[in-house]
Amino acid sequence: MLAPAVAMADPLVTLPAPPFELPVLPPVSGTWTVMVGIGGAYNPDFEGAKRSMLSPVPIFSIRRAGSTDQFRGPRDSASIALIDFGDLRAGPAGKFVSSRKANSYSELNGLGDVKTAVELGGFVEYYPVDWFRTRVELRQGFGGHHGAVADFSADFIVPVIERLTFSAGPRFTWESTQATSPYFGIDAVQAMAIGLPVFNAKGGAHSAGVGAQVSYRINPQWEVHSYVEYERLLGDAAKSPLVTVRGSPNQTTFGIGASYAFDVRIR
Amino acid sequence: MRRSGRCVSFATIVLVAVNVSACAVFATRETKLQTVKTVGIISAVGDEITFARGGLTGLDNGSQRFPIGSWGLDDLIVQKVTAALNGRFQVQPVSYARAAFAAIKDSPVAPVNLIRSDPFKKLVQTEVSPQGLDAYIVITKAKSTFGGGGRKLEGIGYLNYGTVLASYSQIHALYEIRVFDGKTFDVIEKMAAPPLDDVGAVRIAGPSRMIEESLSLGTGDPAQNEKLHAAIADLVARSLPSTLSDMHLADIR
Repeated sequence: MLAPAVAMADPLVTLPAPPFELPVLPPVSGTWTVMVGIGGAYNPDFEGAKRSMLSPVPIFSIRRAGSTDQFRGPRDSASIALIDFGDLRAGPAGKFVSSRKANSYSELNGLGDVKTAVELGGFVEYYPVDWFRTRVELRQGFGGHHGAVADFSADFIVPVIERLTFSAGPRFTWESTQATSPYFGIDAVQAMAIGLPVFNAKGGAHSAGVGAQVSYRINPQWEVHSYVEYERLLGDAAKSPLVTVRGSPNQTTFGIGASYAFDVRIR
Repeated sequence: MRRSGRCVSFATIVLVAVNVSACAVFATRETKLQTVKTVGIISAVGDEITFARGGLTGLDNGSQRFPIGSWGLDDLIVQKVTAALNGRFQVQPVSYARAAFAAIKDSPVAPVNLIRSDPFKKLVQTEVSPQGLDAYIVITKAKSTFGGGGRKLEGIGYLNYGTVLASYSQIHALYEIRVFDGKTFDVIEKMAAPPLDDVGAVRIAGPSRMIEESLSLGTGDPAQNEKLHAAIADLVARSLPSTLSDMHLADIR
């Protein structure tokens, strides 16, 4: 059953054909490239925090052999393009927002916990030319917050050589009151406990910033990337005593990662 | 503990039942192919060549299309596939409306492509003669993304990909092969031709290779460019055996 695969990454294994295929789904037979890797992100402890910490980020993707990974910004939510005109793509998008435990960080002692939130919505991105992408995401929160979030970004994508790509561009985020309040609002009970003034956080412009990333394909198997994202909190997020007294409106994330691609042939 | 064990047993029974019933309902491709004796071959790939620019381009990165019907690429494809399949199947000549097959496009709305029946099914029923063969092999244009952007390449083409420090010229022959059941007209097998071993600098999901820049559009009418014609024909001829082998239609590798 083992056979060499015609592919761009090292063929590692050949799998037998599935016992059956559903007529409505595309057949899975052929060669697929699986990418696995690990990265690290050095980002603020929580949104508005002054200190940062390093956390691991798994990397996984699967695609038809030979096809390219489409450009992806570090802040992009998980998404799938159900509408694809080539230069214009749109579809559902979703983001997982970790819970914020008050007892995990001294700055938050006395504030209530904010549960894990899942944000579901959609995205539209447009490439007027190959080297420039604009993207907007609109998501509704469930769980930890019940507000709306809109992310806007633009990226200049510059292939330096075919293996080395540099990209950079501005970012802007808008959030509704219901999305801002759980993270930046302080009610009377919390104010007493935490020793900060009561603050009624409202929605609006949430942050603006810039981001840049560089990716280098060492060979068909190995790829490394690195990025930096800076955002400055705006509006009530920046005015919250949690940020003005105990945190910082300047939020910077550094990331680095390496991935390995191998081919799987399904007969 | 006992309850979880019961759940596992129940789940196992359900999985086995689903698997068995699914196997009964959906015969495997190889089972279906075993019953095929006579086949007809339809090719609608080689009507035009696309010249595209990608990567770091000017503001106008539109592509240009030129007719190359005079190259006879579709006849070459039919010849090569016939030669590859003749040991296993009886390949019979068929006549078909090539332009109708070449005109079919995927919907930009992905769920529509999943829900609707295969767009070539009706054409095989109505635009191909003779009817009544066991299967029809239909070869049509495929698409691929390239670089990091959203644009796609399709069918036969030439790509000039620009970066800050270099530019790359690459030809491609992107096609997919479907096998239709000659009685039900359901798709038995479908596969896009995979990349060859000597892929070019720009990753493309199909047969492609680097080429001299002198073969670009600047040298005149592409249809008259014999070097370009030969390079594309070679790419098609080299990629067909591995694709047919991957589809279990021919064992020629």
